[in-house]
Amino acid sequence: MISEEKLRILTESAKYDVSCSSSGSGRKNTGGLGDGMPDGCCHSFTPDGRCVSLLKILMSNDCVFDCKYCMSRASCDVPRATASPEEICELTIDFYKRNYIEGLFLSSAVHISPNHTMEALVRTVKLLRTRYGFQGYIHVKGIPKADEGLVTEAARYADRMSYNVELPSERSLKLLAPQKSKQSLLLPMKQLQRERALFRAEKRKGYFLPAGQTTQLIVGASPECDGQILRLAQGLYRAAGLKRVYYSSYVPVLHDSALPDLGSPALREHRLYQADWLLRFYGFDAEELVPPEGDLPSDLDPKCAWALRNMHLFPVEVNRAPLEALLRVPGIGARSAQKILAARRYTSLTFEHLKKMRVVLKRARHFITASGKFYGAGNELAVRGLLVAGEAHANATQLSLFDGAARSALTGEL
Amino acid sequence: MIWFFDGSKQAFLTAFVYAYRDEDAVLSAGNSQLMLGQKSCFVRADAQKARRAEERLKTIDPACMKELDLLLRSGENNRGQIAFAYFRLIAARQCPVRGMLAEDAVTDAAECIRRVTTELHRFKGFVRFMESASGALYAPIAPDHDICDLLVPHFARRMPHIPFVLHDVRRAKAAVWDGKHAFTAPLAQAEIALSADEAGWQALWKRYYASVNIPSRARLKQMKGYMPVRYWKFMPEDPASLAESLRQAPKASPRTPQDGAPHPNGSPRSPHGCARP
Ligand code: SF4
Repeated sequence: MISEEKLRILTESAKYDVSCSSSGSGRKNTGGLGDGMPDGCCHSFTPDGRCVSLLKILMSNDCVFDCKYCMSRASCDVPRATASPEEICELTIDFYKRNYIEGLFLSSAVHISPNHTMEALVRTVKLLRTRYGFQGYIHVKGIPKADEGLVTEAARYADRMSYNVELPSERSLKLLAPQKSKQSLLLPMKQLQRERALFRAEKRKGYFLPAGQTTQLIVGASPECDGQILRLAQGLYRAAGLKRVYYSSYVPVLHDSALPDLGSPALREHRLYQADWLLRFYGFDAEELVPPEGDLPSDLDPKCAWALRNMHLFPVEVNRAPLEALLRVPGIGARSAQKILAARRYTSLTFEHLKKMRVVLKRARHFITASGKFYGAGNELAVRGLLVAGEAHANATQLSLFDGAARSALTGEL
Repeated sequence: MIWFFDGSKQAFLTAFVYAYRDEDAVLSAGNSQLMLGQKSCFVRADAQKARRAEERLKTIDPACMKELDLLLRSGENNRGQIAFAYFRLIAARQCPVRGMLAEDAVTDAAECIRRVTTELHRFKGFVRFMESASGALYAPIAPDHDICDLLVPHFARRMPHIPFVLHDVRRAKAAVWDGKHAFTAPLAQAEIALSADEAGWQALWKRYYASVNIPSRARLKQMKGYMPVRYWKFMPEDPASLAESLRQAPKASPRTPQDGAPHPNGSPRSPHGCARP
């Protein structure tokens, strides 16, 4: 059994990785322990409001790299620990059996060398899948600059892998994470995407990253604007086939002349998530949301801002508008749009009906008609004023539209 | 007239047959308040009547019996009436009605079912097993709705070789997987001899839970929204005491402007953290 102190050190250095999702894998139990839940599953929630789904832990926090923003970097004076593959496996199995977790999220600092580290990760997940017969969720972090063969082997056992891009441009990487390069992150991502596509095309038996790849970007540690970041994200979704891009506001914890003294406002991160959602589930392009050298507006969510720039497309009639048009109405989310499609088959919907169906009309009323009736403010200036006021109110009370379980987020009404 | 029934499917269908033509009928699964001057009647299950009603309803809407099962599992007092209104609409319209979201009976039933299935989904995560000396697992639970047997297939699929007991302490019943079969049984109290390592794993889990939390970022309201306090009782990570210790501890570091602002997807305040090779 691993010691409590080691567990503490390796958890505390892992906990800032944003991704905790256990979704996307339908791995079946074939006689061992565990299986995948395609929607993912939250097992607990910590007082910081985050979901605990996976055992998120580092193999080692003893790093030879020296990224300027990181507490585990070589030049930082912190307690170090390294776990053995057996310690990680036992911990995973015994936590999983008791239903504490949905699986393992295994990452590591670069201990001794990239290959040495990647080998340790591979050995651990292989052991877990074969000797321990574990078929629950496994997310493995890729180590940049490790050999291609090791990367492929990890993917044979993992449900999901991620290389964190972290900094949105090569220049910023050079400055802040000198041992990494854009290529050292993008190449293995592309390699995995290629191999996964081949695996699927040949309909081979078994699994190869059923839950795909994700990545994380730090926002505000470097000067890139939202326009650049969203185009990068869109490229990662469309060209590299990523399942998810996570954004993480920079907050200074270490002083360095290359880093800004001030953190990035969390509102910016929030707006990026909203825009990201629009890219993935609402049929928007980055180009529609923000100019290449610009930032997302802070006083309005990106969908409202887009709608105000395109008032000539509104109002749409809820009884006739196609799904794609409904999804573009501010305040109408995926779930509301589906409800409208279902209900309008039986009757011509009025505002009363929409209210009863719990479609939130506060923003939507400016952009729709229901059975010909319109209750919006009419002119663009008035609408903008009302939307901004509503948004400020929402900001003051709660803005955590996208927090927590993937399930609730997926239906988040934007 | 108030028609009382015992909460079972057969009794509901029998009561449905009686009450269908009664304009202001109320169906109650036993715990609604009797109003003065209101007539009432207790309906006993009639297997034949129930079977015929089920057949008829199934020909109108093949999927509706699954909904009835979920509605009757609800712990809400008015579940009988919600189910009655929904099935009366099916019978009146002679077609599936679940898409008619502008009808109160449909939205009420859909919401009620959603609350049951939401709890079911949540409990796939919130159940906590402990290991007994024999290796079998035991989990006490106290769900709002009668769902313990619905959880069995989920756990039996992922741990087919490990026998386990899900003990609904509120309803004094247990759903059991013995390694081959699933069944339910009445169970008031259980005495469990724990395995030698059980306390050690619980302590490690508690330590993990405290370590993965970001203390400078207390968001208790959100935490409780996702994981209501009434579910905390059987969790060895002891969310209550961690939440309490944070509330009492003085703020270690000055609050940054980020605090209190949104954190989509639970992303961290600080990107320092390793885990980003
Ligand atoms: S590689 Fe960079 S980010 Fe990762 S642990 Fe080492 S110093 Fe930190």
